[in-house]
Amino acid sequence: MGFLSKLFGSRPVIQQLPSGSITVSRNGDVLTTTVSSTYPRALLREIAREVLRQFYEARQAQLALEELSLHFGSLRITARQIQGGAVIFISPQSAQTSAATANIKTLIPSKN
Amino acid sequence: MDTRHQILVVDDDADWLDMCRDFLGQLPSKPEIRTAASGTRALALMDSQPFRVLLCDLKMPRMDGFQVISIVRRRFPHLRTVIITALGDPGLRSHAYALGVELFWLKADMERNPQMFLDCIESLLGSEEEGFRDLQNKNLLDVIQMECVLRNSSVLRVNSGPRAAQVWINDGQVIDARADGADGEAAFRKILKWKSGTFETLPAESNHVQTITKSLEAMLLEETLAVERSSNPTPAEEAAEAQFVRRLTALSYEGAEFLVTVPAKKEDNAKGWGTRDVERIAAWARRAQRTAQRIGEKFSAGPLIQAGGSNLEHQLLLLPNNGKTFVIGWPPEVEPGRMVERSKKLIETWDS
Repeated sequence: MGFLSKLFGSRPVIQQLPSGSITVSRNGDVLTTTVSSTYPRALLREIAREVLRQFYEARQAQLALEELSLHFGSLRITARQIQGGAVIFISPQSAQTSAATANIKTLIPSKN
Repeated sequence: MDTRHQILVVDDDADWLDMCRDFLGQLPSKPEIRTAASGTRALALMDSQPFRVLLCDLKMPRMDGFQVISIVRRRFPHLRTVIITALGDPGLRSHAYALGVELFWLKADMERNPQMFLDCIESLLGSEEEGFRDLQNKNLLDVIQMECVLRNSSVLRVNSGPRAAQVWINDGQVIDARADGADGEAAFRKILKWKSGTFETLPAESNHVQTITKSLEAMLLEETLAVERSSNPTPAEEAAEAQFVRRLTALSYEGAEFLVTVPAKKEDNAKGWGTRDVERIAAWARRAQRTAQRIGEKFSAGPLIQAGGSNLEHQLLLLPNNGKTFVIGWPPEVEPGRMVERSKKLIETWDS
C-alpha cells in the first residue's frame, strides 16, 4: 500500500450526492432540511439560492413558474415555490432511476 | 357565423333613427342595422366594425354630414355612402356627389318612394367591394391608360384608406407620382399595388417636373413580372415553407402549444413555432440553463439532461440537444411523463 500511495499520491475526495428536502425562505435562508447533517450546509444554501434565482428569472420572463425540475446526469432537483420561498427535493439518480422519467407531481404534493 | 352586411345610419334625430331601423329591416338581404346619434359616434363604430353602407344626415350639431363623409372617404374607401337630408338645396346635392357619395336622397322623397329607396340600398349592399372607384365607378388603371391613349394631361389624386397619392400625366405620359413618401417610379409602383380606394381627376399642371421617363406599358410589364416572381417561390422557398408547415403539424399532432429553438451562440437568432414571444422565451431559456449549469457544477451532478417548469397555464420543458436547446410549451393537463416522451419524439423529427 505504501508503494501505491507513493505512486498515486493522496486519496481523492469523493463527495456523496445529497438526498432529501430543503425548505428555504424568500431570503434564501435554509429553514429546515432532511439532508444528512454531514453534507456541507454552505453548499445547501448555495443550491437553495440558485433554485430561488430560477424562479425569479422565470418571473422576470413573465413565465411565473410554480414548480421547477432540473434533471442532471446523476441528480434530480424538484422544487415548488411557496410564499416567495421554496420546498426543494433532491434525489440522486442511479442508472435505473435516471432511465425512468420521474413525475414532478408525484414528488411534490399538489396544492389542491 | 353571421355573414349579414351591416348598415350604419347617422342622424341626430332619435325618432328618425328608430323609423330607419324598422324601415331598413324590410330589406330582402336582412342586413344588420346600427345607428349613431352623432358623427363622432359613427366614426367610432366604423373603426370597430366593418359596415357596408353608411346612411348619413347632413345637418347635425358639431360634426355635419359633409365632415363625416370627408373622413369616411379617406378612412373607409370601401364604404358605400348615402346622404339622407331634409335640405333640398341643389348645391348640397352637387357637393355631396363631388365628395363621392353614391346616393343623395331627400327625406320627403324617401317617404314618397319607399320601395325605390329600398331597392337602391339593396343594390348598394350587393355591389362589389374591391377596386378603385371614382364618381363614375371606373378603375384607376383604366383611367390612367385612357389618359395615356388619348394623350391627355391631368393630375389624379388617389386615396386608399389613410394613404394618399398623386399621379401626374402630361400629354399622355405618366411623368411623376408621389405616394407614401416616395417619388417618381417607386411611388407609381406603390400605387399600382394598392388594392382599392378612390380617386379624382384634377386639372393638369403643365410645368410639373418630369421624373418618370419609362412608358406606362414598360412599368406595367415590370410590375407584372415582379408579381409573378413573388408568387412563384423558388424550390428553396418551397422547401422552407413545406418544412414550416410540417413542423407546425407535428406540434399540433403531439398536442404541444409551442416550440422554441435556442442556439448556443447568443448572436444566433432563436426560432419559434406557435408563439410570438420567441425572444422572451429564448432569453429565459439561456438564463435558466446558466443557473442550472452552476447548480450541476456545485453538486458535481453531471450535465443537465432536461429542465422543466409549470404553472396553472402551461408546462415548459427545456431540452438541450445537439448544440441547441429546445423549449417546448405544453398545456397543463398533459401528464409530465408523456410530455417528456412526446417532446423527445418531436425533437427527433424536427430536423428530419
